Amino acid sequence: MPRVAVVGSGLAGFTAYQTLRRALEPGEIAVFGTEADPAGAWRVRAGAIRQQEMRSESDGHCLPTTFPGLAFGSVRSRRSLRPLLESVLDRYHPTVDEFLSHVARLRERSGWDESLVARRIERVQAVDGGFELDGDRFQHVLLAPGHPGLNVPEGLRGDPRVVHSYEPHDYAPSVTVVGAGLAAATEWLNALAAGAEVVSVRRHEPERRPLNVPRQYFSRRGLASFHRLTPRERVERIRILTAPSYPKGAQWDEPLERAAREGRFRVEPALNGSAQVICATGFRRGFRSDALLARLAADHDLETEDNWLVLDPDSTVPRLTDETRTLAVAGAPAQWAFPAADTLAGARYAAHRFLERIKACRTR
Amino acid sequence: VSYTLRGRAETRLAALVPVLLGACVLSSALRHWWPVELVALMAAVGLFLDLEVWHRLLPYQPAWATVPLGAVELGALMAIVYGFGLHAPLWPAIALFATGWLTSVVLAQIGLPLLRLGYAEDGGELGRVGAVAAVAVVLAFAGSAATYVVRLPPVVHLSAGVHQGPLVIKQREVLQGDRGAVVRGGIVVAHDDVQIKNVTVIGGTNGITVDGVRNTVLDGVTVQGPKLDGIHVRLAGVVIRNCTVDMLGNRLGQGIDISFNMDMGMSMVEGCTIVGGQQGITTHSSMTDIMGNRVSRTTGEAIAVDEMSMGMASHNTVRDALGVGLYCGDRSMCMFDHNTVVGTRSDAGSGIRTRRGIAVLANFQAEVSLWQNTLVANPVALGAVFNSTFRTTSEPGW
Repeated sequence: MPRVAVVGSGLAGFTAYQTLRRALEPGEIAVFGTEADPAGAWRVRAGAIRQQEMRSESDGHCLPTTFPGLAFGSVRSRRSLRPLLESVLDRYHPTVDEFLSHVARLRERSGWDESLVARRIERVQAVDGGFELDGDRFQHVLLAPGHPGLNVPEGLRGDPRVVHSYEPHDYAPSVTVVGAGLAAATEWLNALAAGAEVVSVRRHEPERRPLNVPRQYFSRRGLASFHRLTPRERVERIRILTAPSYPKGAQWDEPLERAAREGRFRVEPALNGSAQVICATGFRRGFRSDALLARLAADHDLETEDNWLVLDPDSTVPRLTDETRTLAVAGAPAQWAFPAADTLAGARYAAHRFLERIKACRTR
Repeated sequence: VSYTLRGRAETRLAALVPVLLGACVLSSALRHWWPVELVALMAAVGLFLDLEVWHRLLPYQPAWATVPLGAVELGALMAIVYGFGLHAPLWPAIALFATGWLTSVVLAQIGLPLLRLGYAEDGGELGRVGAVAAVAVVLAFAGSAATYVVRLPPVVHLSAGVHQGPLVIKQREVLQGDRGAVVRGGIVVAHDDVQIKNVTVIGGTNGITVDGVRNTVLDGVTVQGPKLDGIHVRLAGVVIRNCTVDMLGNRLGQGIDISFNMDMGMSMVEGCTIVGGQQGITTHSSMTDIMGNRVSRTTGEAIAVDEMSMGMASHNTVRDALGVGLYCGDRSMCMFDHNTVVGTRSDAGSGIRTRRGIAVLANFQAEVSLWQNTLVANPVALGAVFNSTFRTTSEPGW
């Protein structure tokens, strides 16, 4: 039986698996999940908002190292050096198709299907020298449960006009888009392109920045000060860093300005009588929204702060990690350790630390 | 990458290791220290900018920024090289810098991320690899310094008093003359890397003979009464500084004759005083700079750059020469600037038209560039014969 387990077969678990494969054979890793295609859930969401290219830049891939990124592959497939030049200038965004091909190639060559155990893990129980996952014992476990579900504002639940942006949908003649992040911005343009009249409802003006979290928070330079914050300060900092945002650029601004001049796009403080309401309001947040994490915290009386499981800077659960065993968290629930944990670079961060722990383990 | 301070320094040092090792190999192959000196300077400039400037200015450093940052570092490096007079050939030095820059780019963007999984997340910090790189750099520089010290030639003191020559030097050494040290019968330099300082030589076939060796330095030597030349250099690279050569009464010998050393690189004669002799300073098939010397009472030419030589004569003073003051002959290329030629006398007895007291003579397809020379009381200021040319330049140098 493998001694290392990854709980979750989405992109965060998949990225972690690629890192683990640097040191372990497929037979030494068990991946628990109900979806064999690691991009399955993401593919549906990207398709729903008609996403054409990735927001992430050169680091937005599932490989264990930052080099080579997807730009090299794009150079070959597009027969142009432009992707490489764009990568150097932080302007390269792989297309969704390129990213999905990359995932498919990695899945095939990494032994992912060999390690996959098609089962949903309901409970993680700490035992002496490891963890029991619904009866199976592992020494080192990485939890990558993914987003706990789509977030629909309380007052809109049950409204027949409402669809979440990440659910497949078409566009009515008049559309209200709730939210102000990248998904919302994408939906504004989609609905306008479909000929709809669009109303944006948002509580705050969106931030305009290239990545969802400023770049220095992707490295120890910004993380060191982040990790020094008190728990309350850290909660507030995460709230600020994860506020809705989308990149600057004419490809966003020009269609909106044109539509505003034509009277087809406007911002309003509250819902009106649109035929369709699209909630571009992201995902439910916090460990309590995830049954596995909520049970884990309750069973082991783990330290929490606000909606967050308190994690060590290396993304491990402090009370359940020592020299002989590791319990780490990757993906959105790990933003306590790494503010951009819900990105592929964030998944890689948790995976790198997890592998370091495994390598350093005396009883490995 | 968003580098941490430590990450910047460790990445810099790691990238420096292969360049430094290359510079050490290059130094030993070229038998010059400039590659190691240049890399040491690159390290100092780079680390200073990393710690004091780049870290403050750049919370995040995109890949493209390595180009302007490299250009700034190259500019700072060149300013220091010129400011402190480090003798490094321009293009090889730039090539070495470019190699170092390219190595650092390849390492930071490709090598180190592949070597160390968390390279970008750790802000460029390398852990144990960083410490090893720092130790390697320190050891390489310390080894170079130790090698330099060990390779310094032994100093041999020549005591005051008269020593019977000829003295033949067959090992690398610094022959340091005490005050009043005299060698009678001449000195022959027969080994590379010999320095002779503050020694007086009297008589001998040639006062000092340097033949077929490299890196000879003659500093503060005095030569009197040789049968042929005062300082006679053949197929050898030399630097002659602050010498005195007395050739009075010797109508056929040359004060300093440097010939056939074109493949030995630049030689130099600087700050010497030569009196008498046929030619005061002469070069044949040579690249020699002749700077700040005083030559007088010669019977042929005071300073002659001859036989396809390339040379610069600058800030020299020539007085009372018979026939010709400055001479550039036989397809040589000469740069004469800031020289003073006073009182050249006509050699009427020779019956040769080109010896009628010409301050500057170009002969047989020679090319002379002139800039700000002072020619006073000479029968003829300039003369060009047999397809030779003069050119007045707007700036000194080639």
